[in-house]
Amino acid sequence: MNIEAFRKIEGQAFYALAGLLGLVVLIGFGAAHYMETHGHVVTGMTNQIVWGLPHVFAVFMIVAASGVLNVASIGSVFGKPVYKARAPLSGLLAIALLAGGLTVLMLDLGRPDRLIVAMTHFNFKSIFALNVILYTGFFAIVAVYIWTMMERKMHAYSKYAGFSAFIWRLALTTATGSIFGFLVARQAYSSAILAPMFIIMSFSYGLAVFILVQSFMYLWNGLELDPAILRRMKNLLATFAGAVLYFTIVYHLTNLYFAKQAAFEQFILVDGGIFTTLFWVGQIFIGTLIPIALLLHPTLGANCKTVIWSALLIVVGGFAQLYVIIIGGQAFPLELFPGMQESSTFFDGAIHYYHPSLPELLLGIGGIGMALLITTIAVRVLRFIPQDDFHHVSKEALTD
Amino acid sequence: MTRYAMVIDLNTCVGCNACMAACAMENQTPVWKGEWRTYVHEKEIGVAEQVRRRFFPRLCNHCSNPPCLTVCPTGATYQRADGIVLIDPERCMGCRACAMACPYDARYEVTYDDIKLGKEFYGDLQRTSPSMDKCSFCAHRLDKGMKPACVETCVGSARQFGDLDDPSDPVTQLVASGIAQPLMPHLGTRPNVYYIDDLKRKG
Repeated sequence: MNIEAFRKIEGQAFYALAGLLGLVVLIGFGAAHYMETHGHVVTGMTNQIVWGLPHVFAVFMIVAASGVLNVASIGSVFGKPVYKARAPLSGLLAIALLAGGLTVLMLDLGRPDRLIVAMTHFNFKSIFALNVILYTGFFAIVAVYIWTMMERKMHAYSKYAGFSAFIWRLALTTATGSIFGFLVARQAYSSAILAPMFIIMSFSYGLAVFILVQSFMYLWNGLELDPAILRRMKNLLATFAGAVLYFTIVYHLTNLYFAKQAAFEQFILVDGGIFTTLFWVGQIFIGTLIPIALLLHPTLGANCKTVIWSALLIVVGGFAQLYVIIIGGQAFPLELFPGMQESSTFFDGAIHYYHPSLPELLLGIGGIGMALLITTIAVRVLRFIPQDDFHHVSKEALTD
Repeated sequence: MTRYAMVIDLNTCVGCNACMAACAMENQTPVWKGEWRTYVHEKEIGVAEQVRRRFFPRLCNHCSNPPCLTVCPTGATYQRADGIVLIDPERCMGCRACAMACPYDARYEVTYDDIKLGKEFYGDLQRTSPSMDKCSFCAHRLDKGMKPACVETCVGSARQFGDLDDPSDPVTQLVASGIAQPLMPHLGTRPNVYYIDDLKRKG
């Protein structure tokens, strides 16, 4: 096949992919319009389960946006050449994922038309207002960071921009975790450990997403990723997945230490129905133990496909984890009369039920579509595909 | 200064729901979807033979340290000098963070559909735009020197309303005596709705 013919086919495939993703985004907008007009009464969300499936998608994308920038940080801040070649793509994905996550959050507002109010009126006591500033700042800092990486004249400033972005994203994920950490109205939250736990979750989800997108890009362009690069990333991914497991254990052990949290832990770990299943099967088994075992396996772990599958499992486990944290956390009621048996017609002391609706799911998927659409177009327009130059990469740099 | 508070006597509440009806008519709440600013529910509290049944009116507790106000990103939730916590519907963007933060389950959402239905249900609907909603202690009535609609209408005088900064107010005396207790004081929200729960009169 000559170059001309290849470009034509590749161009058609790009438009097909962009069109498909555009359709997914449009369906998401349609779902949002339906929910906004009729209110959350048409969804599974209630006064008790205030945040539902859209928030699981949104928080996943926001947390992953912060984590995916880790690749760039390791390159720029810690000077690892293999990661440096991937830094622009990492920055792009960070912006795309944050845009996708925030789109879902904005469209899930009761009044998305009033977003401007959130940008012009700040209650500085509110962690949400702080997040508005941190999200906006993240876009700006990462955009500058990408600019310093892609513009030759600005290379000298890349390290400083990278360092600023690194600190900013730590603050951003701390604030995202603190949304839940600062809530006293549910037994599951109000814990200082949620902020650092969200940071380590971001590392894991972000790297998993990066590996998946990078693999797809290489496949799409008929390129082959050097197994040595994937080998380094898979070690890091296994470490991050292990760290998430560690924080999860600490979170639950801390809760178990306090008698007032025992019923909540019983609910999540033993008899919480879907939440218990998602915790043990989704998060721990599928999303943590299997990928760690695969990644660290001496022969299987060296296979590129294993790494990609492990990354996919970590993403699936991430969704399960956030579902348990966000929805499971709301499903368990606050104890109104500690030590008393109680039943009421106002849901006091009762487990709250949540059945996700189709519009919620479509809105969440629309957000993912938005993130992928931004990535697809940006990669087409600018040079975001990692440019590995192994002549300049020393052997040591590939082996640590 | 004035510090408004409500005391609800669970012994004299008969569960007639007149307060709910009065509130709904006064504040035009979307009752068709089961959302009320105040809600009387049946509750069984206690252990073993001590279990007792109570009608339990609920509403916004107008906390002195309201978590809904702290969490509101735009400042749509605000507090008057007299302690009443209100929502500015023009500034609320419906993020529902306040509903997440409220331990008393006091908040709900008013949507575009509710406005449309409200016009059919109530005729002359005062609300023009959707936002989060909750009890306002009938601030508009208090400003005219009247009591909240639920207090005014309560059949058994279970609801009493007063000023905690007035030592001679019966509400202040009930609170000071310790007979009237707030819900979940350990959360540090310092609620201004108190309940009298007389164990001697169970049944």
